[in-house]
Amino acid sequence: MMKIKSVKWVSLLLVAALFVIAGCGNNNTGNAGGGNTAGESTDSAAVAKIKERGKLLVGVKYDTRLFGLKDPASGNVEGFDIDISKAIAKHILGDENAIELKEVTSKTRIPMLNNGEIDMVVATMTITEERKKEVDFSDVYFQAGQSLLVKKGSPITGLESVTKDTKILGSKGATSIKNIKEKVPGITVLEFDNYQDAFAALKAGQGDALTTDDAILYGMASQDEGYEVVGEPFTDEPYGIAIQKGNTDVVQAVNDTLTELKANGEYDAIYTKWIGKAPAK
Amino acid sequence: MDFAGAFSPANLVFLMDGLYITLIVAFVSIILSFIIGVVVGVIRYAEVPVLSPVMFFLVELIRNLPLLLIIFFVRFALPEIGIKLGLITAAIAALTVFEAAMIAEIVRGGLAAVDKGQIEAARSSGLSSFQTLWHIVLPQGLRHMVPPLVSQFISLLKDTSLATIVALPELMHNAKIVMGQKESYTIPILLMVALMYFVVNYLLSLVSRRLEHKTV
Repeated sequence: MMKIKSVKWVSLLLVAALFVIAGCGNNNTGNAGGGNTAGESTDSAAVAKIKERGKLLVGVKYDTRLFGLKDPASGNVEGFDIDISKAIAKHILGDENAIELKEVTSKTRIPMLNNGEIDMVVATMTITEERKKEVDFSDVYFQAGQSLLVKKGSPITGLESVTKDTKILGSKGATSIKNIKEKVPGITVLEFDNYQDAFAALKAGQGDALTTDDAILYGMASQDEGYEVVGEPFTDEPYGIAIQKGNTDVVQAVNDTLTELKANGEYDAIYTKWIGKAPAK
Repeated sequence: MDFAGAFSPANLVFLMDGLYITLIVAFVSIILSFIIGVVVGVIRYAEVPVLSPVMFFLVELIRNLPLLLIIFFVRFALPEIGIKLGLITAAIAALTVFEAAMIAEIVRGGLAAVDKGQIEAARSSGLSSFQTLWHIVLPQGLRHMVPPLVSQFISLLKDTSLATIVALPELMHNAKIVMGQKESYTIPILLMVALMYFVVNYLLSLVSRRLEHKTV
């Protein structure tokens, strides 16, 4: 037991020492930022650090169609999230290729951001109150919402044509099933382990419509011309770019980029390129 | 189902890249966890004062935690105290720690199963307790251990897929990316990945069977 105790103390001391070192490091970069007041110096430090590095480190998904998907043949990662990231790199560093993409999953994106391994997360991340406690969010960069995917020519044209007798397909554990049951009480929902299975079931005629985030549904519709997304989204899933808490200068730079992209029409172009239609105004 | 599209050369090469990472991580982890596991297992068996209880505590602690938690700990908690590991090193470290605890128990059990009469005979013919362990108990114990050790190695190889969650580019991870291209790739790619895991693991069991015949 003595041994365990001493190990514990040594590691505690180590942690304490690291905090002191880290603290000094922060102060130094703060001064290098060149601000006069303490507040200003930390505020400009994060963008200054990116500029000093000359490269923007962005966490993106590698396995999500339309948003961030790695192409096995070329090794490139492509999608809506990537194009937005490049625009941010261009805004901050003047070069859209001054960027390094790092793969995140929904489990690793917040720890990686808080570890400082990445400057921001652009990975289909919904802005929630819960997450706001851990990270800062930019303005909404993609307005997703729950929608319906049907076979072309289906009598279902939106949520209003869904009745109790409509057979809905969904993915297990997703909030989308709860949502549709609230909108249409008494409706039957067939649950599948993942979206792929649910889509296969829709094709096999096991149900009338598949429901989840429209961002995912557009990805499915782009795989098969026989299917389309119908109606307006009936829930609100605003995607935001996550930034380490306190780096308000980075949040500002990202928001400026988004405003700029929306003003010069580039946002619409990127949106149309991946989603296949112009964003709703 | 689109077998032709799913098995395009680019996709297959990408899956092989994943298999390569899986094999590297598994191979290094197997070697390291075997060495550590044997040492810890022998210490547990030999009932060394202080050291054995400490090992008992560590083995029980690690054995009763989910591997996923250990992977997360190595990937995200260690950097906070200044230990920064690359993705592959982190995966190897997590797997090694976890599997070493499992192997230590297998080794201890294997040693304990050696007939007490063997030890008494060795001791009374003048061998020291270390000599008894090295020449009598360990060789016989290892024989008992071969089958459980090989199953542990097989499960280690399969457990590498858990590191998908921290985006280690191993076989399952790369499979997910290929399946992301097209919904119709799902079944062909999963079948291919299953085949790859099966071939590698089946080879391991074949080796184990040969070892058993040789040693027993």
